[in-house]
Amino acid sequence: MIKRSASLVLLLAILALSAFAQQTITPPQAPAQQPAPPKTHLKVGQAAPEFVLTDTEGKEVKLSDFKGKKNVVLAFYVLAFTGG
Amino acid sequence: MDSSYSNKRFAEDIGVKFPLLSDWKRKAVKDYGVYNEASGYGMRATFVVDKDGIIKHIEEGRTAIDPTGAYQACNLFDKKKAN
Repeated sequence: MIKRSASLVLLLAILALSAFAQQTITPPQAPAQQPAPPKTHLKVGQAAPEFVLTDTEGKEVKLSDFKGKKNVVLAFYVLAFTGG
Repeated sequence: MDSSYSNKRFAEDIGVKFPLLSDWKRKAVKDYGVYNEASGYGMRATFVVDKDGIIKHIEEGRTAIDPTGAYQACNLFDKKKAN
């Protein structure tokens, strides 16, 4: 009986140790992947979406203002005033 | 996405001669597909649009800071005009 209890304790100890070993040996999970930055759905050859934006004097500027007159370079320069 | 006031100061500081537009409501960044929902900001991107309103060149991400791609796309317009 004693022998049986001893082997049960030993078995429990082994199980406990293996659980501990699993906890300590398991390599840490890789940090969660950052979501990929968005890519535009627009393609070369498509019509550019109309925009109505305000200039530094508070005047509205539309893409259609330039239609038939000028080519437009629209540069999204986010957080321009932050020096970033 | 910066305010018109911030843009005005920025334009004065660096002496730009082209219109600096504010997308305060983040509509243009969304319409052009360069809005990052996670950060709440737009991505840097450059679109070259011809006189007919057709997109001729797109530069996104880090390379959008370098104006070379957009400059080359504009050169194509000049070459077409010359031909």
